Amino acid sequence: MALVTAGRLRRRPRGAGRVPPLVLAFVLIPLLAEGFWVFWPAVQGFYLSLTKWDGISPPQFIGLANYREMLHDSVFHTAVLDTVLWLALFGGLSAVLGLGAALLLQQERRGVGFYRAALFLPVVFSLTATALVWQAMYQPDGLIDKAMSGVGLGSLTHPWLADQSTALYAVIVPALWRQIGYVMVLYLAGLKGIDPALYEAAKVDGATRWQQFRHITVPQLRSVNAVVLSVIVIDSLRSFDVVWALTRGGPYHSSELLSTYMYSTAFQSLRLGYGSALAVVIFVLAFGVIASYLVRAFREAD
Amino acid sequence: MTTTHAAAPPADRAEAQPKRLRSATAAGRRRIWGTVAFHTGAGLLSLLWLVPIAVVLITSTRSFDDIASHGLGSLPHSFTLGGFRAAWVDGGQKQALINSLIVTVPAVLLSLLLASMAAFALSRYDLPLRRAALLVMLGGNLLPPQILLIPVSKLTEQLGLYDTLPALIGVQVGFGIGFYVFVLHGFMRAIPAEIQQAAVIDGAGPWQIYSRIILPLTRPALAALTALSFTWIFNDLLWAITVLRSDSKMPITASLLGLQGQYVSQWNVVAAGSVIAAAPTVLVFLRFQRHFVAGLNLGAVK
Amino acid sequence: MNTLTSTPSTPGSRRQFLAGAGAIGAAALMSGCVTSSSSSGGGSSSNGGGTVTLQSNLSSPQAKSAMQDLVAAFNKRGKVKAGLNTVASETFRTQLPTYLTSANPPDLLTWYPGSVADTYARKNLLLDVSDIWTRPELSGYSDALKKLCTSSAGHKVFVPASYYWWGVFYKKSNFAKWGVQEPTTWDEFLALCETIKGKGVHPIGLGAGGGTAWVASAWFDYLNIRVNGAQYHRDLLAGRHRFDDPEVHKVFDTWSQALPYFDPNGTALAFQDATTALLNNRTGMMLIGTFFADAAPKDQLGDLDFFRFPIIDPKVPAAEEGPTDGYFASARTHRADEVKELMSWLATAEAQEIYLKGSSGTALPTNPQAKDAGTPLVKKGRALIEGAADVTQFFNRDSSDALQPTADTALTKFLARPKEVTSILTTWQRDAQKIWSQ
Repeated sequence: MALVTAGRLRRRPRGAGRVPPLVLAFVLIPLLAEGFWVFWPAVQGFYLSLTKWDGISPPQFIGLANYREMLHDSVFHTAVLDTVLWLALFGGLSAVLGLGAALLLQQERRGVGFYRAALFLPVVFSLTATALVWQAMYQPDGLIDKAMSGVGLGSLTHPWLADQSTALYAVIVPALWRQIGYVMVLYLAGLKGIDPALYEAAKVDGATRWQQFRHITVPQLRSVNAVVLSVIVIDSLRSFDVVWALTRGGPYHSSELLSTYMYSTAFQSLRLGYGSALAVVIFVLAFGVIASYLVRAFREAD
Repeated sequence: MTTTHAAAPPADRAEAQPKRLRSATAAGRRRIWGTVAFHTGAGLLSLLWLVPIAVVLITSTRSFDDIASHGLGSLPHSFTLGGFRAAWVDGGQKQALINSLIVTVPAVLLSLLLASMAAFALSRYDLPLRRAALLVMLGGNLLPPQILLIPVSKLTEQLGLYDTLPALIGVQVGFGIGFYVFVLHGFMRAIPAEIQQAAVIDGAGPWQIYSRIILPLTRPALAALTALSFTWIFNDLLWAITVLRSDSKMPITASLLGLQGQYVSQWNVVAAGSVIAAAPTVLVFLRFQRHFVAGLNLGAVK
Repeated sequence: MNTLTSTPSTPGSRRQFLAGAGAIGAAALMSGCVTSSSSSGGGSSSNGGGTVTLQSNLSSPQAKSAMQDLVAAFNKRGKVKAGLNTVASETFRTQLPTYLTSANPPDLLTWYPGSVADTYARKNLLLDVSDIWTRPELSGYSDALKKLCTSSAGHKVFVPASYYWWGVFYKKSNFAKWGVQEPTTWDEFLALCETIKGKGVHPIGLGAGGGTAWVASAWFDYLNIRVNGAQYHRDLLAGRHRFDDPEVHKVFDTWSQALPYFDPNGTALAFQDATTALLNNRTGMMLIGTFFADAAPKDQLGDLDFFRFPIIDPKVPAAEEGPTDGYFASARTHRADEVKELMSWLATAEAQEIYLKGSSGTALPTNPQAKDAGTPLVKKGRALIEGAADVTQFFNRDSSDALQPTADTALTKFLARPKEVTSILTTWQRDAQKIWSQ
């Protein structure tokens, strides 16, 4: 600051020639920490997926047999379908409803802070607490069934989590409850970033609200959409706690996701090799999203 | 309440100037209706979001006999803090909360320290392969944790760290660091090069530049990440049950699951436990709401 | 910034690097100190001194406090110290293999003898405790128990502490109100269900939801030992018969007759919630083991009674489920002598009475000299097991912990879609085959 000459130096004057060893250490120590706790175990995980292992005797190398088994494993097929359904419903609804909430709450009015906080509050709950809250709601003598009986819908009351036709949807609701506030915050920031002049111009041209939304808001939100998509896909492939705490993937696999199937295979049936192979499948599915996130990050990083 | 407040001034003005007539009154009315509609919609939405929270708060203060005879979904017929007592003392939530803080505070500090060092080096110096390093670190954070569970638990055993809190701190730091590096890198990159050059010319080494110039300038991002990482680490379940075994060492989320297993039908105790488990993050959120929301948006690659 | 001018301009001198590294080290050290001070303060640490760690799955409130009493009494004896570590039973169930295979395992664990213990013993995970079976503490134990605690390799790997029974529990006041009697045969049982249904109460509570799906296996076990006999049941679980055999189909045909009387929330409630439903007159009866009492209000136990699972085929000798609970030790313990000391004490009448006094007292001691709670309920339970033609343990105990999830899936599916029984059994056989062939 004190020196005007600074501006005359190289355009990118980050390093003064050689990189100081301290700076190298600055990168290497965190990298080692991550390598130790993440990359090295991940490599082992890939290797374990090629073995048959009960966690007790030493792992036995069996090549791709675990992956071949998946082809004929009907539970695996259910889990893949459910994961796709989960992605579509959980992802689609949280994006649409999150955007809706953001549109509703974007205006700076009195009391809007309270509404935003109310929608956002569940985001800070742990998934375990969320699951317990909703388990209480879904109990046969809980609020949902009581309220339904109260308004004359008693015939529709249900063991929501124990019926195979409703279990998956019953589990999506708490997950949405927790996710929509998050998506809303992302969209709120996106909406804030749109130049108000665009709307002014459109109004002058006599555009309706819908036209403004179609032709200004939606295109302007494109970059936020990409972010939301990444967040949703990564979160939904990961989100295991809610399903595990509420149904453990049951009844009879009707709410089984790849993540719960992996966990029960590995830690309940003690088929750690097959479980690792399922984890690799989750990784492969997530990879597309991770890669696109990384590509954007890559551009960003430059 | 807010509705009438907001609506009052236009109405008054319309009466005071009867000659401004119809158009003004109509516009005022439309605004009133708009306000009413907004608060009705947003209010109902918020209510929907807050009902489950209210149910848990009420359940936590009911007695077991009340819940057993009237059902979970009924209005309370009792008030007692016995559920909190059972959860806090007999259920071990007190120790669990202490454990959570023992893990969360050092893990947050350590991750942000290491991440800021790495981000500093990667953003302010021309390191070879710096972009690759950045992406590798971010990529590690995006891996589905399932693939790491089995190897991480075996790894901590080999190190003799299994069932110790440092193991949990280690894995939290290792797994989270990539994301923090990425966010801080984006932030530090935006700091003008001139500031650093001035310091270099003044003879400052990398450590001084890092600790006295860049770090203070990164404070907003650090604050946001602190709020965010606090809730993430505090709410984690998966890593805790992977590397810990003793109930006396379990952090609050895992302990909550244990509490549920122990007091299965005693919903008042389970609800009280959920309230205890959620309270710290809710407090952090309410106190640092701004940082929090900022943090979520920082993570979004735009 | 101006204050920095005096430092030499060569970036990254050795001194600065050391300063940086020192700061990192200090941070790590700091966090290490904080944590280590707490974990030693947290009690029951697994690597501290000569304390024997006892990992317990007895997590329901009364059983947990009884275990605390037990460990406190042992520690008062002076010589060896023990620390109790209670884990929620459903967590324990899934984590047990991890405990046993870890490099630094808990020394002693609560679990079950028989086939399930043998699956771990065959993998050399359990400590051979044959020598303590020759000590006076265990001298009076029955031959049946000795056999149950012996692995297939001929070592004793288990010390039993208590056993309990399963029965169809009901409230005496309700049966009196409805004017009904305990049934002894399957037909009487179905007639009773019909009567109770007429009173507007769901006749049969279950409790196979909310994480305790394994409770449904009790129905399978009992129907199978009543229809096909105990030996067939054991052979089936060991993989010597198939789940899609006609014999197994017959079990499910019988079960179908009772299905209309099951509480529709049977697979939505955990057994603890189902107990609450029974005590609050929402269901009429429930097939359950006496452990349910540890989670129920103690003052309500006086109104409870049970009857033996009804006889289906009089030609089949009436076997009962009489699961034994107790302890096995990890083969990798570093404190084998201390563990054996604790184990043999746990086998004494003194220790078993302390546990029964602290818990709901509905279990029976394995030590012949130990006194049980002496209530009419317990007397009736003891008579049931002692008069049984054969005693089975329970589904997972007679097979393995890995086989249990296959049963949970098959049985909950059957309860919801009884018509699909053929495909359910085919799937069950296929899933079970994967476990057996491991």
